[in-house]
Amino acid sequence: MSRMLIALLGILMVAVAPISLADETCMSPYMAKIVGQEDYVYIWTLGMEDVGDGEDKLVTVDVNPDSEHYGEVVHSLSVGGRNEAHHSGLTDDRRYLWASGLDTSKIFIFDIYTDPAQPRLHREIDDFVAKTGGIVGPHTNYALPGRMLITGLSNNRDHGGRTGMAEYTNDGDFITSVWMPTDDNLQGAVKSGNYADGYGYDARALPRRNVLVTSSFTGWNNYMMNLGKMMGDAEAMKRFGNTVVIWDLHARTPKKVLDVPGAPLELRCAWGSRSNYCFTTTALTSKIWLIYEDDAGEWNAKAVADIGDASKIPLPVDISISADDNHLWVNTWNDGLVRLFDISDPHAPEQVFEKRIGEQINMVSQSWDGERVYFTSSLLANWDKTSSSAEGEEGDVQYFKLYNWDGAELTPEFSLDFVEMGLGSPHQMRFGAHALYGNAPAKTGHDDMAAR
Amino acid sequence: MHFTATHLLKPATMIWPRANAMRQWLIGLLGWCALSAFAAPHQHEPPVVLAPGYEDLQFEPPSAGSYQLPSMGDAADGLILNTSGNAGRLHDYLGDKATVLSFIFTTCNDVNGCPLATYVMSGVQKAVLKDPDLVDQVRIVSFSFDPEKDTPSVLGRYGDQFRAEGFDWEFLTTASEDALRPTLDAYDQWVIRDYDEEGNYLGTMSHILRVYLIDSDRRIRNIYSTSYLHADTVVNDLRTLLMQ
Repeated sequence: MSRMLIALLGILMVAVAPISLADETCMSPYMAKIVGQEDYVYIWTLGMEDVGDGEDKLVTVDVNPDSEHYGEVVHSLSVGGRNEAHHSGLTDDRRYLWASGLDTSKIFIFDIYTDPAQPRLHREIDDFVAKTGGIVGPHTNYALPGRMLITGLSNNRDHGGRTGMAEYTNDGDFITSVWMPTDDNLQGAVKSGNYADGYGYDARALPRRNVLVTSSFTGWNNYMMNLGKMMGDAEAMKRFGNTVVIWDLHARTPKKVLDVPGAPLELRCAWGSRSNYCFTTTALTSKIWLIYEDDAGEWNAKAVADIGDASKIPLPVDISISADDNHLWVNTWNDGLVRLFDISDPHAPEQVFEKRIGEQINMVSQSWDGERVYFTSSLLANWDKTSSSAEGEEGDVQYFKLYNWDGAELTPEFSLDFVEMGLGSPHQMRFGAHALYGNAPAKTGHDDMAAR
Repeated sequence: MHFTATHLLKPATMIWPRANAMRQWLIGLLGWCALSAFAAPHQHEPPVVLAPGYEDLQFEPPSAGSYQLPSMGDAADGLILNTSGNAGRLHDYLGDKATVLSFIFTTCNDVNGCPLATYVMSGVQKAVLKDPDLVDQVRIVSFSFDPEKDTPSVLGRYGDQFRAEGFDWEFLTTASEDALRPTLDAYDQWVIRDYDEEGNYLGTMSHILRVYLIDSDRRIRNIYSTSYLHADTVVNDLRTLLMQ
């Protein structure tokens, strides 16, 4: 604790913009942040048939260079069966990690504070669909004060893309749910373009502006289908989200539906206290979109950059914004590249760097200082590849990799082959540090954890 | 031990209170803390950036009654001592009015921590006193994390700094750590106390700032934290509660 750095300015950042999901610079603004060296990366991992026990699991990797176990898997906790493990998120006090399954709609709540090196299963939510009135596919697990917001991807009526969001207490008790606005029921929202599809995916809050932003992907019928089959199904390919919704954060009511065609996925908002904008990327059209509030207070969306050659379907997946709002890492699953965009002018991003990380690169997480960048592979069980065609990468398709970033080059630090280790397909990463819990020497910063 | 305020953002993000009166309020509060917190290690550190609760609200809040505040569960009971030193239970102070409950300790000198909670509660008090529909239906409870330093008499003097004449603002403490712990656990108030190498409590601690909105049926209807806590939204929520 004595080394805990309190990010007083963070309070404002927090109040201002937010982002959470993939990395330390993408966490909920309501949450403590690790601004120094992280001790662990928790990797929510899909089970693979014939790989280890075949079960979904939370894998803990020691990433503190001062540790004798640096770069090693120090713990693995299987949850029984496969659930299409996908995204995860921390509670606002960072004591619990929520990890959800898109297929079974189960949510696993892990205690990561009692012993950060050895997470334990605290609670399992197995009635998400019933409690929420039919929401299927819990995706984003996002911290709000004293509660978790869970976005859905689908529904139990037609397993299409219409869905909603749910709220739970930090203890895992259901509070309420709300459905995304549709043409049939805009719920008071303004439809600003051609779409009000009711699809969901990611969510981020901008508390200072009382804004919640959500994006849209596709339903269970598509994300559980074989990728090749889906790509050849013209009707299925029509069933992707084309919207971003602006919500009243306090009231949890939709205010405006924006057209963002082509499946807008991850949302990342700027941290600056006067920067009222977020980014998303569209999987099918390979563009960076800016979601921004104009001088008149209106929220808008516009495409601001291309990501590679859209005709080659690079398939942008995870993105990560730097703490100074100047750069955005963009992974493209199909070509295995990470690209860095200069976003200092958010209306005109420019690509300044690219590097091949490996086959089917998916998630990216960076440390608060931006010096360490972690990558995992794996998108969805039925979409993932089983081998790489790239020379020297044969078999290396399910990995967790750390690179060091010096502002000009990504230098590999270590790589773990999750298939060879009998673990599975690594997906989302979350950071842990002993210092968050008062028992070790990593530097941590805080938004809503006040130290006094 | 020493906490350092770090500037993680560009200087342009720094926001200072504009109102002179608020500056004076903070100086007064921090001065009170400094006098009473002889063990606090960084009582002279200046505030660097102030939480949104110190500013004018930066948005038009949804109108009272236009939104729902679904129950987040029952508000727990627990043992307390009031400022007169009388033993009782927390539920004695919940259930008959809409209540805003915050956990604080008087030696807290992080301006964006407990002082923020007390500042915002003062704003709530001011607004409620002006609203005849609210004034008899709202209570504020400030509950101490620190039974060792926040004795009933200390807490009483602290409360006298902020409570307006005739307003229902209660300041509660506990007789011991053992009496306090179940309440903190029940409200998910996780606290890290700071000790020196010999195990002596240094009088400082870290915790998530949470303020609870509790209805007259003792159900939690909202939770606010540092980046979310603002008198205008709390009062709006109080009005919403009382309209339902």
